Amino acid sequence: MKYLKTPLVIFVLLVIWQTAVILFKIPEYILPTPVSALEHLFLPQPDADYNWVMHIKATLLEIVLAFAVTSVAGISIAILLAWSDAIRRASMPLFVFINSLPIIAVAPLLLLWSGYGLKTNIIIAFLISFFPVVINTGTGLASIEEELLDLVKYLHGTKLQVFMKLRIPNSLPFIFTGLKICSTMCVVGAIVGEFIASDRGLGYIIINSQYTMDSPPIYAGLMLVSLFGVALFGLVSLAERLCIPWARPAGQEL
Amino acid sequence: MNTTIRMTRSFLSKALYFVVVIGLWQAAITVFKIKEFIVPSPLSVFQALFSPEIAPQYQWMTHIGTTMGEILASFTFTAVFGFILSLFITWSRFARAVVMPVIAVFNSLPKIALAPLFLIWFGYGFAANVMIAILVAFFPVVLNTTTGLDSVDEDLLDLVRYLHASKLQIFIKIRIPMSLPYVFAGLKISATLAVVGAIVGEFVASSQGLGFLIKDSQAMMNTPPMFASLLLISAIGLGLFSFIALMEKVLMPWNRPASEELG
Repeated sequence: MKYLKTPLVIFVLLVIWQTAVILFKIPEYILPTPVSALEHLFLPQPDADYNWVMHIKATLLEIVLAFAVTSVAGISIAILLAWSDAIRRASMPLFVFINSLPIIAVAPLLLLWSGYGLKTNIIIAFLISFFPVVINTGTGLASIEEELLDLVKYLHGTKLQVFMKLRIPNSLPFIFTGLKICSTMCVVGAIVGEFIASDRGLGYIIINSQYTMDSPPIYAGLMLVSLFGVALFGLVSLAERLCIPWARPAGQEL
Repeated sequence: MNTTIRMTRSFLSKALYFVVVIGLWQAAITVFKIKEFIVPSPLSVFQALFSPEIAPQYQWMTHIGTTMGEILASFTFTAVFGFILSLFITWSRFARAVVMPVIAVFNSLPKIALAPLFLIWFGYGFAANVMIAILVAFFPVVLNTTTGLDSVDEDLLDLVRYLHASKLQIFIKIRIPMSLPYVFAGLKISATLAVVGAIVGEFVASSQGLGFLIKDSQAMMNTPPMFASLLLISAIGLGLFSFIALMEKVLMPWNRPASEELG
């Protein structure tokens, strides 16, 4: 029942949407029916701009690469910061500060520096999702019971052992919280990158169709983007349940 | 007296840090001869902002006014209606059953991707950007406030029920005050998100505002106003954030922030 609830809510919302459009005769350029949006995905599209397979591939590749790079880099850097007190003291305030900035505003600069396309969009996604991973992992690595540390010290545990057996397992719930935020942010980053400048991807379809007021592909694009976001989030949650069945999610999901 | 000295010292060390960073930046540009269309020097950024010959062409006041107006309008709406909606959700079981699943679904969507839709609905400019910012910033406030209103000591509730407290009294004297740390945590997240929403809205389509200026200058590879706008946006974001942190300290001096601030 618990797993059926969300799909059920989505289904009900779609039905309400479909009926409202038909009932109130809303013009298609303002709000198409969900059916006509989905139809757009499956009917053959003569216009090369609507080559859905190519655009889906581009966006998926950006999201997956950005997520992979961000999670590996974010977790590694957080471990480095936890390992060395000096580095942490010097850089943690900076990270917290950057994290509170609207990093997405930097996106146009990145276009100047690295041009259009895949690479730039991955960098944008990386920049906005990197800091939550570092900060969450860092919090997890730091939040360990003092008594446990004392015990391990008493037993002559090495620093490496403390990390492998205590700090890293203990930080897993926090890491997964960070990765969940990261999964949503990577999707946002990739799409915003495609909005600002790109010649392919779902963000490109959305913005391009907006210029021509052709609304069914906008909604089809949005549905796919949402689906990817939710799917990635779901995969991370699944991995969380498999890796740490004993723990409940830490912190809040934004 | 002691605190004044400490605050002055902390301010001075921050100012020094700032000066050193700018000095290094200027030195790097001069030494490595970095071209201005890649990274401008702090001096040319400063000129773009303040030089009487260069600054007027960017119409800073108009753009700052537009962006600040969007951010403040969307943040105020988000704070007020987010709080009211949370009160509804916690007040009535029915409202919770109907509204919460919808909010959960919306919260998991990449809302910023909806920006182009708002342009179709509200046209270019101020209204559309405010709506985008609201959409992006709204849900964290609702989710945080609702969590706060829910997380009340059960024993305390039992006690006041025993004393025949009305539902209204429970809300005013217990639930709302106890939810404040969560409310402020939500507001801080929303403040950052409102800035992001307004800027992305201006990126996607607008003819005014700092986001517009960034995008417009990018098209001409004119970096000094881009950097100047980024600084201004950060300053606006930090200003709003600090204002909330200040309100938090003033309104509940007894408490420390509840959860961590995650962008």
